[in-house]
Amino acid sequence: MGGDLVTPLVMGILLGGLYALIALGLSMVFGVMRLINLAHGDLVILGSYLSYSLLKYLGMDPILSLVITIPILFGLGFLIQQYLMRRAFAISSEAPLIIAFGIALIIQNSVQIQFSPLQVGISTAYSMASFNIGSMQFPVSYLLDFLVALIVMLAFREFLKRTYLGRAITAASQDKKAAQLMGINTGLIYGLAFAIAMISAAIAGTFLGMTFPFTPTSGTQFLIIAFGVVIIGGLGSLLGTFIGGLILGLVQTFSGYFLGSAAQMLFVFLTVLVVLAIRPQGLFGK
Amino acid sequence: MRSIATKIAPEHILAVIVMVFLAIMPGIGLPRAWTLYILLFLIYLAMSNMWNLVAGYSGMISLCQPAFLGLAGYTLALGTWVQVPWWAGLIGGAAVAGIFALLISLAVFRLSGVYFAIGTLVVPEALRIGFYLWRPVGGSLVGGGAGYTIKNISSLGIQEIYWLALIIAIISVIAIRIILRSNLGLGLTAVRDNQRSAASSGVNTFRIKLYPFVISAIITGLAGAVFFLYLQYIEPVSTFNVKWTMIILLATVIGGLRTEGGPIIGSIVVVFLHFLLAKYGDYSLLIQGVILIVIMLLSPQGLVGIAKKSRYFQVILDFLRRPFFSSKPLSGENTKVEQIAR
Repeated sequence: MGGDLVTPLVMGILLGGLYALIALGLSMVFGVMRLINLAHGDLVILGSYLSYSLLKYLGMDPILSLVITIPILFGLGFLIQQYLMRRAFAISSEAPLIIAFGIALIIQNSVQIQFSPLQVGISTAYSMASFNIGSMQFPVSYLLDFLVALIVMLAFREFLKRTYLGRAITAASQDKKAAQLMGINTGLIYGLAFAIAMISAAIAGTFLGMTFPFTPTSGTQFLIIAFGVVIIGGLGSLLGTFIGGLILGLVQTFSGYFLGSAAQMLFVFLTVLVVLAIRPQGLFGK
Repeated sequence: MRSIATKIAPEHILAVIVMVFLAIMPGIGLPRAWTLYILLFLIYLAMSNMWNLVAGYSGMISLCQPAFLGLAGYTLALGTWVQVPWWAGLIGGAAVAGIFALLISLAVFRLSGVYFAIGTLVVPEALRIGFYLWRPVGGSLVGGGAGYTIKNISSLGIQEIYWLALIIAIISVIAIRIILRSNLGLGLTAVRDNQRSAASSGVNTFRIKLYPFVISAIITGLAGAVFFLYLQYIEPVSTFNVKWTMIILLATVIGGLRTEGGPIIGSIVVVFLHFLLAKYGDYSLLIQGVILIVIMLLSPQGLVGIAKKSRYFQVILDFLRRPFFSSKPLSGENTKVEQIAR
C-alpha cells in the first residue's frame, strides 16, 4: 500500500465512527416506530448549534455542554413523539413524513434566524490539534469521533439488553401487541425511545460540529448519510450500523483523495443510490 | 352536439370564465407586481398538481421534484448557449425531465413508503453537486457554481412568459381531471391502497406507477423551465434545493392532499403567504412550517377538507356540478374512484 493511501484509509475509518453515531438515532427511531425521521439531520445540526452557542456565549467546553444539550434534545424528542408523531400515525401513512418535513423546516429556519446562514464551526484547542501516526498527521477531532461513537454504541447496546426500559423498548419494537399484553405502556415507551434516540443525536451534533463546519441547512446532507448508513448496515444491528458508517466514511475520503474534495459527497450520495437500487434491504439484510 | 350540451355544467362555465379572466389580466393594465404574483401562482399550481398526482393519488412521496424542474431549466439554459431557440429548449427540457424520471424509476421504484421518500431526496442533492462541478459550455467564468444566464430571450416579455405559465397550469389541471376519471386513476388508487392485492388482480404495478411519475416529471419540468425563463438565470444551489420541495408540499397539503381543488387553493395561499410574509424573511418559512404541521394534524385533507364539512359548500358544489340540461348529476361527474367507494 502506498504511503499516501494510508491517510484516506485512517481518516475514512475514523470518520465512519461519526457517521455511525449520526445514524444511530435514525436507526433506533426506525427500528422501534417504523418511522424514518426526515428531521433527524436537522435535529443533529440543532445539537451542533446548541453546543456552538454555549461555547460562543458562555465559553463552555463543547464536551461539557453535552450536560445541557442532551436534556434539551431529549425533551424535544419526547415532545415531538408524544404530541405530533403519535397523532400523525393515526391519520395516514404519509402524515408522519409530512410532519417530520415540517419540523425540519421549522428547525432550519429558527437556526437561520438565530445564527445567520453563514458557515460556523466549533473550535477548541483540542479539536484543532493533530496527532501523528508515523510521519502522517491526523486531526484529533476525528479520533475523538471514533472513540465516542464506539463508547455510545456499546452503551446503547448494554442499555437495550440490561435495563428494564431498554428491554421494554426492544419488546415494543418486536411486537407491539404482545408488549402491551405484558403490561408495557407502548405509547410512553415510543416517546422515550424517540427521546433516547435524540441523546445520540445531541452527542453526534456536538462532535460533528467539532469535525466539520456546518450551516443551518447541513441537516439534509447528514440525513442522507445517516440513511445510507442504515441502509448499508441493515436495520436493528449495531454492528451493521458501524460497518455502514465505515463504508460511507471510506467512500468519502477515498473519492476525496482521488477526485478532489468537491466531488466526495457526490460519490457518497451515488453509493447510497446504488445500494438502494441493488439491495434495498441493505448489504447485510436478509 | 346534444350529448356534449347535456354534459356542460356550471363548473365548466366557471372554469372558462376564470381562464379567460386570467388570460386577459396582463393586458388590462394590471400592476406588474400582480402579474408576477399570478405567474408564480400558476407555476406553483402546475408543480403542486403534479405532486398531488404522485404523492396524493399514487402514494409515492416523491422528494425529487427539484431534479425535474432543474434539469429542464438547465436544458433550456444550456440550449440557448448553443443557439437552440427557447421554445425548443422548453420542449427539450421537458423531454429530458421525463427521460430522467424513466431512468431513476429503475432504482427508486424498488423502494416503497419512507424508503422511496429518502431515495428520491438523494437525487436532487447529487445533481446539485454534479452541476456544481460540470461546465459543459462557456469559459471558466460561467457554469458550475456561477450558473448560466439564459440567452436570446429578449423577445420574451413578462406577458408572454405569463401566458406560457397559464397554458401549462391549465394543462396540469386538465391532465389530473382526465387521469382521475380514467382506468389509470382507478389502478393508481388500487396500487396505493394495497400494492399486493392490486398486483394479484392483474395490475402491472410498476408500469401504472411509472405513468404518473413520468407525467409529473414532464409537467414539473415545463413549469420549472418557464420559471427560469422569467428568472433568466440558473445556478445549482437554489435550483436543486429542498426549498422547492417545501413550496410544492406546502401548497398541496395546505390546500388538501388527494383533492382536485387542493393545489389550486394551496397555491393561492402559498403565494399570498409568500408576499405577506416577505418582509419577515426567514420567519416566513418558519411560519409556513408551523402551518404545515397544524393543518396536517387538524385537517389531513387541508382547507378543502374543512370546506367539505360545511353544508353550504356542498350545496354550491352540487349546483356547480349539475349539468344545465339534466336534473340529476351525471355519473361521469364523479371520479371512478368515488363511484367505487359508494
